[in-house]
Amino acid sequence: MEFFRQTNIDFLGKRRIIIWISVAITAVGMLLVALYGLEYGIDFVGGTEIAVQIRPEPNIAQIRSVMDKAGFSGAEIKSYGRAEQFLIRVREREEGGATTTAVLEALRKGFPERSVELLKSDRVGPKIGAEMRRNAFLAVILAVVAILLYIAFRFEFFYGVGATIALVHDVLIAISAIAIVHHFGILRIEINQSVLAALLTVVGFSINDTVIIFDRIRENRERYKGMNLIKLMNLSINETLSRTINTVLTTVLVLLALLLVGGEVLQGFAFTMLVGIITGTYSSIYLASAFVVEFVQRFQRVDLDAEYRKLREAERAAAQA
Amino acid sequence: MAPKFSQVWGKWALLVLPLALGIYILWPTYRAWQLEAERDRLLRSGDSVALAEFEQRYGEALRSAKQNALKLGLDLRGGMYVTLEVDVVKLLEEAAEREAVDEIFRQVIEETRRQAERSDEPVLDIFLRVFDRIARPQGRSLISYYDVGDLREVSEEKILERLRRNIESAIDQAQEVIRQRVDRYGVAEANIQKQGTRRIMLELPGVTNEAEMRQLLQTTARLEFKLVRNNEEAVRAFYAIDQYLKRQRGDTLATAPADTTAGADTPARTSDTADPYAGLPEEERQRRIRQDFPFTSLFVTYYVQNDRFIPISYQRGEFPEGEYFFQIPKATIPEFEAILSRPDVQRLLPAEYEVALSAKPDERLLRQGVEIYTFYVLKREPELTGDVITDARATFDPTTNAPIVLMDMNAEGAERWARITGANIKKKIAIVLDGRVYSAPVVQSKITGGRSQITGMSSIQEAHLLEIVLKAGALKAPVKLAEERVVGPSLGEDSIRRGLLAGLIGFGLVVLFMVGYYTGAGAVAIFALLVNVVLILALLSAFKGTLTLPGIAGIVLTMGMAVDANILIFERIREELRRGRSIRSAVDEGHKRALAAILDSNITTFITGLILYFLGTGPIQGFAITLMIGILNTLFTALIVARAFIELMLAYGATLSYGLPRQRLVPVA
Repeated sequence: MEFFRQTNIDFLGKRRIIIWISVAITAVGMLLVALYGLEYGIDFVGGTEIAVQIRPEPNIAQIRSVMDKAGFSGAEIKSYGRAEQFLIRVREREEGGATTTAVLEALRKGFPERSVELLKSDRVGPKIGAEMRRNAFLAVILAVVAILLYIAFRFEFFYGVGATIALVHDVLIAISAIAIVHHFGILRIEINQSVLAALLTVVGFSINDTVIIFDRIRENRERYKGMNLIKLMNLSINETLSRTINTVLTTVLVLLALLLVGGEVLQGFAFTMLVGIITGTYSSIYLASAFVVEFVQRFQRVDLDAEYRKLREAERAAAQA
Repeated sequence: MAPKFSQVWGKWALLVLPLALGIYILWPTYRAWQLEAERDRLLRSGDSVALAEFEQRYGEALRSAKQNALKLGLDLRGGMYVTLEVDVVKLLEEAAEREAVDEIFRQVIEETRRQAERSDEPVLDIFLRVFDRIARPQGRSLISYYDVGDLREVSEEKILERLRRNIESAIDQAQEVIRQRVDRYGVAEANIQKQGTRRIMLELPGVTNEAEMRQLLQTTARLEFKLVRNNEEAVRAFYAIDQYLKRQRGDTLATAPADTTAGADTPARTSDTADPYAGLPEEERQRRIRQDFPFTSLFVTYYVQNDRFIPISYQRGEFPEGEYFFQIPKATIPEFEAILSRPDVQRLLPAEYEVALSAKPDERLLRQGVEIYTFYVLKREPELTGDVITDARATFDPTTNAPIVLMDMNAEGAERWARITGANIKKKIAIVLDGRVYSAPVVQSKITGGRSQITGMSSIQEAHLLEIVLKAGALKAPVKLAEERVVGPSLGEDSIRRGLLAGLIGFGLVVLFMVGYYTGAGAVAIFALLVNVVLILALLSAFKGTLTLPGIAGIVLTMGMAVDANILIFERIREELRRGRSIRSAVDEGHKRALAAILDSNITTFITGLILYFLGTGPIQGFAITLMIGILNTLFTALIVARAFIELMLAYGATLSYGLPRQRLVPVA
């Protein structure tokens, strides 16, 4: 079986348009993030969150009225995974974490004829929340910088920058996607530790496709000395296309499995990674090399485009002849 | 044309040994799982004879298997994860000489507390910085507040040295005391670790009563015996506070002649004299009382005469000598405490006195539906503290049947206790735990033999908890719960099921794709993947790591990523095959040329794994670890194991097409 046999797609010919479209999409994504907002999990803001299972299941309004009566007005109540499972987020009321107990007591008193079971509860103090927020931010920045340095060291500085831009693009698109699906209630994803882990893994993983292509560019540059860079890059991207797609495909398969059956806790993780690595493949093919070409043209003062156009014309003429 | 074994044994070894080693390491895990399932089945069936027999026959095997089995994280097996923070600021505050503490020092403490809330910097460093900025310009030094005992050798360095030692020992001691409490409570396989400069992290598998655990962990367990000073001096001080607050408010209104000062919800509002506020609408009446008695209207004061409790008024400011009694509704406690904690108000109270609330509301009144607490004025300096306690037992009081904790004291404590009780017959001594009064019995006679008891617990469970904390000893500094996570057992089981299912489905999909696309070579990649997964679990188990839910996600993800390396190699080999190389040289060339890309892409992922590990916590670290182990394994299995397999196949004369149509292949030379 072969999906791609010796393709010859001009990935970089229209790169300006593609770059601007990508920038526009990312900007719209960021705008939507600003508009819809992201919901942060208690890992990052602190607070108390309790997941319970109540059988037979009441509706959310009934739970709300029970909670209100117990003095937990303003509690957020959502369904969680299955129909009889609920997630309740409350503001800290009792000292020293007794809130969980108080909420459970209130529910058991409010639903005396049903079984109320604690699935999990998390209480994060505001200080730890702030620390985690800081660490999360730091982690993403550190990861991006580390990758930039690594690629710049293994290849060339411009390649490092091109790869980094592609990475940042992937992370931003993944965040936008989270904001969108959360806003429209498609999936309930909040920014918590596992989503952060997914974002970081996206950083580490979506670079893989870029590395495969860059590696081939390096190899081909030895083989075809003096070839026009645009042509060389197009050739390399085409040559590696099937492995770029296939490697992502296997990862997409397992992530789909995680997303569909892995359960509530892993959903945010799987979704974020899924979006991140798919855009990662796109950006590896269309953006990373495109930016390298742009940088080389700008800073090394060579008009690669003019050269490339001439080459194409010559090729076309040869084909017609 | 089978090759000689001497030529291929090394490759066979590469196929068989890693897998065998992985299975060997994981054997106890399987055994523990199997035996536990069997035991659970017997437990459910209720067959106690069979269960006993099982225990006898397999109990030891199960224990040893569990010891070497792969540990599951709390998110999978259920339990409680707690981060405690030692309140070092409180320690610094309490280490200061009481008489020396002034407004400047309070300011320093306040600011230190505020800054410590936001950073993990050592508190002493924060304290010193704040001290330099606030206190020093006003002519204060550490010597102004701290005492080193030996007057001839007082110096800043000495004090600093001692504070540092105190803090360190307080944190170590807290860890030790907490460990003892957890052990005595009976948590199997608890993990307790120091984290950062002042935190203690606890992993408590299987704990489901989180309320009890919380109480057990948070109790400072500072036990003190203090003399009760509910006397006219205290009441006069309360009167002074009223006057002071009114003056401060600039309230010049003439006080209405009032006889009752009872607060809103107090049950004993009755007074036989005429109510000066009578005739006013209820709301207005309450408002006026609140205004005229800003402090004393928060509670009710009784004068005790021949065991009768007579409510008294603060109107005239004259109070007979004798014993008083105070009750306060729960609703006004926050305001009461807020007023009392003000330094300017504290000055109005005699310096050697303090106010302490009862631990529990009045039980009789609670049954009527009102939550009324008692508070006591105590002599600040304790007569005796909990460190003389050698043993504690929770039991029931034979006469009242109420839960009590009996305590034994050491010889020195017993002697002092005898002296104290002897000197205070017919007086009250309060038994104070962590600043709350559990009981304040009247001393009937001199107590010899160092026996004492605590009453006032609402249940025998609570008495049991108290017994545990008294035996383990008091914390030098209080601790606060900074983070708490509880996972119920059913969620954990559900997570395992779902994680396994996702893993199996993901694996199946990868198998379909790889075998479908790359045929025989794809199957080799799947074999390498199997070895990979077994080795991840084995390494995790061998290095005593724990498997968490994000860890499972990491393994599932590794399945998708591990075959990537094979795909890179296979695609490269296909390319070489298309160029017309023989399979033999295409395999060599393919491996050689794919290596750089494989290394680069795995190293970048490994870097993010490292960052996640160092900046993440708990379960996320579990993910990072499996991810990193997965990457290392991938390099091993994809580059070495899979290669050995393919070499063997070639050696035995198999043809590999790598999924390319046969006609495009050059026959083996």
